[in-house]
Amino acid sequence: MKLIFILRQTFSNLWRERTPVTATILTICIALTILVALFEVSFILFNQLDELKNNMQIEVYLKNDLSDSKIRTIKGQLEGITEVKNVRLITKSMAAEIFNREFGEDIMEILDENPLPVSFEITLYQHFNKPDYLKAFRQKVQNINGVEEVHYRHALIEKLETVTQAVAVSGIFILIILFIAMNLLIRNTLKLSVYARRKQIEIMNNLGAGHLFVRMPFILEGAIEGLIGGILSTVCLVFAHKFAETTFSMLDFARYTYELVALITICTGTAIGFVSSAGSVSGFVNKIFSKK
Amino acid sequence: MIQFKQVTLDYNQVSGALKDINLQLHDGDFTLLLGPTGSGKSSLLRLIYMEMLPNRGIVSVDRWISSHITPRQINFLRRHIGVVFQDFRLIENMNVFDNVALPLIIESYKKSQINKLVYGLLDEVNLLHAADQLASTLSLGEKQRVAIARAMVKDPFVLIADEPTGNLDREASKNVLSLLERINRNGTSIIMATHDYDLIKDTQYRRIYMEQGQIVPPGRTINTSKRRINILMQDE
Repeated sequence: MKLIFILRQTFSNLWRERTPVTATILTICIALTILVALFEVSFILFNQLDELKNNMQIEVYLKNDLSDSKIRTIKGQLEGITEVKNVRLITKSMAAEIFNREFGEDIMEILDENPLPVSFEITLYQHFNKPDYLKAFRQKVQNINGVEEVHYRHALIEKLETVTQAVAVSGIFILIILFIAMNLLIRNTLKLSVYARRKQIEIMNNLGAGHLFVRMPFILEGAIEGLIGGILSTVCLVFAHKFAETTFSMLDFARYTYELVALITICTGTAIGFVSSAGSVSGFVNKIFSKK
Repeated sequence: MIQFKQVTLDYNQVSGALKDINLQLHDGDFTLLLGPTGSGKSSLLRLIYMEMLPNRGIVSVDRWISSHITPRQINFLRRHIGVVFQDFRLIENMNVFDNVALPLIIESYKKSQINKLVYGLLDEVNLLHAADQLASTLSLGEKQRVAIARAMVKDPFVLIADEPTGNLDREASKNVLSLLERINRNGTSIIMATHDYDLIKDTQYRRIYMEQGQIVPPGRTINTSKRRINILMQDE
């Protein structure tokens, strides 16, 4: 009976104060949508960056006219470096074939000779694929006798890393602001709700109601607002997902399931609602109790 | 038994403060607390259900003592005391049934018990027909009867009535008084604060007169807004 009474109180209060309640739900929905979307974007960018790093190859071009034994020696030297996972030799003829494949022209027909140098394609172990390591590695390889040039897409990697870090840092910043905004809004709605019912709270107190009995409808109100906000946010995110999947087809969305997004969003919404209301309502109720 | 020992309360400089109150209220009594507005009647009642605690002295209500009581125990005390106010203090957007049932819901009574007790009391105060009506739709007299039913639903050992007829017309006031008398006959102590002397002039209940926060001793005269009253006899 007590629980039914509390639930009835909660839902009738939600209905009675539907305007501020709707505003809170919408704010939670918008904030959660931005929050989860940001989280996902950061996640996708980190994954793409990781994948790019994993598949990144360093090209080491050798000087012309090196003997086969010298080339084998350099290969051995490269394989001996700790960071190196794999070394693949690209001969002059293989380089010509690649040129032919990529540009659709036979270099021998254009220049009557093959100027492309012998090179190695090097793959590093994943944890060495960082700008600092790469710079040091480049220097190390550059010093090997017979090496002409070491080339890798460092600019792209560095830029991607900077962007990803910026997204992550701004994500945390936005996350904190959104949390504060949600908390303030829930607090304000509850404050209005508590003050609108301060007489009722005083009456309950006079009848011997404990603090928990008085507070529980307010706490549930916050949790329900968070829950509804979370559900609405999930709907928004599903639509955003579908749009992003078709628009940015080059990105890998495969590992994100709607169920997981829904679970995270709804649980986060409910938890924020619950914690914000539980944290603030006792203060407001105590204020009313102590005003007598 | 309710006892006040050298109780002083200085909660408001203008009115309501109490000075050196010594008083004993016995079980089963109907006690009338009389005096002009601001004489300290309401403060004295509020000390009984410990909405306020004395600055000096001790108030003991049954087994609870003001000097040692915790907030949790105050809640518990209030569950054993019925209180009726001049402004009824009903929850206006709740129906009559829920208003009366509230003290039982707070104490987690079963639904069947709640139905039995609440409908029984509503029948007693002639409001069975209004059980589903919102409190806000009732007349003032009906509201006070609902408030009395709510105060009585837990079968308290004492019912405190603070100006219960203050907002009512003569007819409704008489009905409320006779309802309180009926409750008293069933064994519940009643402490009723009022300044409606006409209403209680024919009753033989114990009267305590208050003026400026003190109990007026016999032989003195007190001034009210309407008349001068000679205190010829008083128990304390």
